[in-house]
Amino acid sequence: MTNERVMRVWAQVGKQSQGAPATLAHICAAAVAGVNVDGAGVTIMSSSTVRDVVHTSDRIAADLEEWQLTFGQGPCVDAFAGGGPVIALDLRSPDSLTRWPVFTPAALDSGARAVFALPLQIGAIRLGVLDLYRARPGPMSSYELADALAFADATAMMVIDDAAGLQPDTAELAWQRDDPTAHQVQVHQATGMIVAQLGTSAEAAFARLRAYAYAHDRRLGDVARDVVERRLRFEPDPPGSYERDEEMA
Amino acid sequence: MSERQLAEAFVELADTLVDDFDLMDFLHQVTVRCAQVLGVSAAGVLLTDQRGALRVAAASTEQTRLLELLQLQTDEGPCPECFHSGRPVAVADLSTAADRWPRFVAQARESGFASVHALPMRLRSDLIGALNLFGGQPGALDERTIQLGQALADVATIGLLQARAIRHHETLAEQLQAALNSRIIIEQAKGVIAERRRVDMDEAFDLLRDTARRNNRRLSELARTVVDGSESIWLTQQAPTTSGRAPIPLHRSEGSVG
Repeated sequence: MTNERVMRVWAQVGKQSQGAPATLAHICAAAVAGVNVDGAGVTIMSSSTVRDVVHTSDRIAADLEEWQLTFGQGPCVDAFAGGGPVIALDLRSPDSLTRWPVFTPAALDSGARAVFALPLQIGAIRLGVLDLYRARPGPMSSYELADALAFADATAMMVIDDAAGLQPDTAELAWQRDDPTAHQVQVHQATGMIVAQLGTSAEAAFARLRAYAYAHDRRLGDVARDVVERRLRFEPDPPGSYERDEEMA
Repeated sequence: MSERQLAEAFVELADTLVDDFDLMDFLHQVTVRCAQVLGVSAAGVLLTDQRGALRVAAASTEQTRLLELLQLQTDEGPCPECFHSGRPVAVADLSTAADRWPRFVAQARESGFASVHALPMRLRSDLIGALNLFGGQPGALDERTIQLGQALADVATIGLLQARAIRHHETLAEQLQAALNSRIIIEQAKGVIAERRRVDMDEAFDLLRDTARRNNRRLSELARTVVDGSESIWLTQQAPTTSGRAPIPLHRSEGSVG
């Protein structure tokens, strides 16, 4: 079941962080150990040309991120722009060379043969990409793919919480926060309503919703329902103030 | 439903395939057609998230109650059963299935449904989701209607995969993940519109879809611009065929509209 998979992913991250606050570096290391790939890299982007943060597990992964930024092409670039995973099963295939003529030979030179670029996204919220590579060609099993997608989900949550100042956190606490109600349609609808209420980005709106749920020790889906049914609205922060979201009578 | 109407429904869906293709609008159309052609009260499409759960991709009405009933099936219900077995599931009388799926049956009956069917969506050996049909009266669908329903489920599958030949799990993953993320963008956009315009979520969806169609835009692309405010778009109060009213600006910088 989904929940067991999420728990397993966070447990693997916890094994890497050993009680310390979990970081993107721990996620990369856990993905390499858990998904049967040779390396992992996370790139956090604020737009397709502006790269904020990169974490990579090894030299080849670092090269892959570097080539994509330098050349402006590659699976990671396409995954960020396109809204879905981009998977190159064999960089020696003519398809790969046609699609990424400069990136492909450079990536092969570095020692990568298959690349799995998974966007870190929640609807219109685009945070970056988790890149996994293998030195051998070929597909992932459906089990490995499921774990890889779960790692991308975990990475996205960590990035959102970091940006909202909700870290530091142990992996164990992060897992407790990873609430199955986060997938309910009301959560996404509420995010949109908060975008309009605060005049902010979807990322900031979603972070506010999550922060409110933690602060009030409530499930994300329940808080979202209150927003959608117009029992709770979010107010823009006056300068220098903290949480000011008001319950409406 | 006459043979002619049936043929028209399929031709209309096939037409969507060749024109500038909009997957999310197409899946919505399939569910609307299911309700009409199969004589059921409501229909929904659930797709695998490839992590072990089914997620809502489209519904014949965007009423939150129906979406909730569909999304409840991450845990239990006829669709997970159909998805895991690969076989149709038919429950002619929901009141007999309360032990099988307690939460699903309670909520389905509360929503006024009395029967439910689930039909597999399959690509060769891969199951990718399920088509869910809800009836307002008890009773099983007859064999001919089931076959028609399966044909519509197959049309939905083809639509999902039509962009390119699917040879690997990975390519399937690219399509499925993008479709499910598009659905999330649409929910987020519904929220923005519902708040700005003080309308219900299903009215918000109608506004979004009508605007997309009128302006020849893909539903999910327009939805993205609504959420990130990257583009000023106009959503009229009603479709122009029923209203001569001037469009009302929706863009964030235009200020609040109530």
